[in-house]
Amino acid sequence: MNAIEAINLYKRFGNVIAVNDVSFNVKEGEIFGFLGPNGAGKTTTIRILTGLLKPDHGEARIMDYNIHENPIEAKMLIGVVPEEANPYPDLSTWDNLMLVASLYGISKYEAKEKASQLLKLLDLYEVRKRKARNLSKGMKQKLLVSMALINDPKVLFLDEPTVGLDVLSARKIRNLILELKKNKTTVFLTTHNVEEAGFLCDRIAIIRNGKIIALGSPEELKIKAGLYTYVSIVFDKKINEHDVKSFLNSFEYKIQDSKLLIICNEPANLIVKAVEYARINGLKIIDVQVSPPNLEDVFIKITGGE
Amino acid sequence: MNSNYFKHLSRSIWAICLKDIKLYYAKGPIVVTGVIFPLFLWFAFYIGRGLGIKEGLASLLTLTLFFTSSSVTPIIAPWETRQRTLEMVLSRPITITIMLIGDILASIIFGLIFTLPPIFYGIFLGAIPNNVLLTVITILLTALSFSSLGIIFSALPTDTPADVVLLSSTIKLPLIFISGVLIPLNQLPTLSLTLAMLSPLTYPTDLLRIFYIGEGFFSLYIDLIATIIFAIIFTIAALKLHKKTIYIRLQRR
Repeated sequence: MNAIEAINLYKRFGNVIAVNDVSFNVKEGEIFGFLGPNGAGKTTTIRILTGLLKPDHGEARIMDYNIHENPIEAKMLIGVVPEEANPYPDLSTWDNLMLVASLYGISKYEAKEKASQLLKLLDLYEVRKRKARNLSKGMKQKLLVSMALINDPKVLFLDEPTVGLDVLSARKIRNLILELKKNKTTVFLTTHNVEEAGFLCDRIAIIRNGKIIALGSPEELKIKAGLYTYVSIVFDKKINEHDVKSFLNSFEYKIQDSKLLIICNEPANLIVKAVEYARINGLKIIDVQVSPPNLEDVFIKITGGE
Repeated sequence: MNSNYFKHLSRSIWAICLKDIKLYYAKGPIVVTGVIFPLFLWFAFYIGRGLGIKEGLASLLTLTLFFTSSSVTPIIAPWETRQRTLEMVLSRPITITIMLIGDILASIIFGLIFTLPPIFYGIFLGAIPNNVLLTVITILLTALSFSSLGIIFSALPTDTPADVVLLSSTIKLPLIFISGVLIPLNQLPTLSLTLAMLSPLTYPTDLLRIFYIGEGFFSLYIDLIATIIFAIIFTIAALKLHKKTIYIRLQRR
């Protein structure tokens, strides 16, 4: 069963088409990244999927429930960390969690157990009595994550969960996301941090001007984007261009004295050839560096440099 | 829809109601305003006019309900939009209707709490309504009506509470003077009397006069039916208007 189904979602605000015929499925237990430049339609899509906005056309389904026709049933299965949302500033950390637990119909006993566990996990237990207005930005964000996890959601929507967090807090949340995957929780993640998406996500969709322009695993996206791996090999002596040409005739390369820079798809084959070249020409290989294309390169290429 | 579904709805409504009471109603300034404003307004008109306690009580009760039940409901939605908590709450398994019913319930409870002291004070002085059941029903319907009226004001899709307070005050304050609360209906000029018939404040005031002093401007049935109709119209209008404007409100964030 698909955990999330977006079927031809379309949303317009005045003259602006925010989401234009967006369709995708997210499988149970998958971490799905949703990337795009500012104003691409990420937040509008997440708001439609979580039932906060109605699409003009199309359908959003959570575990087979249409979220706009069966909002309670669908929302019971999800946890949401909305972008720039806040806990109630005049309620304590603990009371915010208890309020959300009661909205999910969780019994008081169960809610207390779960709240203690989550607050300890996210290092908030010590500040459980502190009003949310007096928490730091990182603590507030972690509180929002705890509030989203209080019902053990089957599907977790995280809209920019690590934005503005310090390195340790961000890492804590990333590790938590990976832990959730082990428990078969589906995670829908929007982020500006492309490397974070590449590290966490099984598949990534890239949205631009309200349309999905690429969808696949990080590796698939790199191939689709037609980006190459850069290999740099340093020899102990200056390289003879004529000799190299016969070895590397099928590659694009550049020579800088004893350094050879090559663009290729499969670095392993290339390195085998380079070793052979060194042996025949009595050279020693001093250094080899392989720089595969990163997801940021892919993102920049696909979104046209935005 | 099974019993679990309704159990969930009622729990959610109660959770929102408790949240409102904790965050908005159990605050010193709100409590003081709820007591002082209607009381002083009432004193200003009644002291020195030689009116009996029963006559005054009917007006005081309506004024108290009017100022307490419709005091906080207008600002909750704009305030929560500004605080960015509205989106957080609405992404939980509740609907806008459930949230508003919770808001209305909190407001009714707030109104009733402040209506009890004048009622008990009246009983202490021998002012007992001639139909206790209908008096209770009238007070409940009136609290519902005024709470929903407050919610109607908050349907304005703004995140600035002052915008709503201005609208609410502009409509609410004139109603006090044309609804027979401070000046009895039979002493109003014809134009004001015509306007009074459109006011939601007129009929509960008249009903409470019937229950406390035995005479009203309209008949008991007209007053009761009008009070019920206002409560129904305001409640439905509040829920419908918010359903329409909530998406505009969320889009603006």
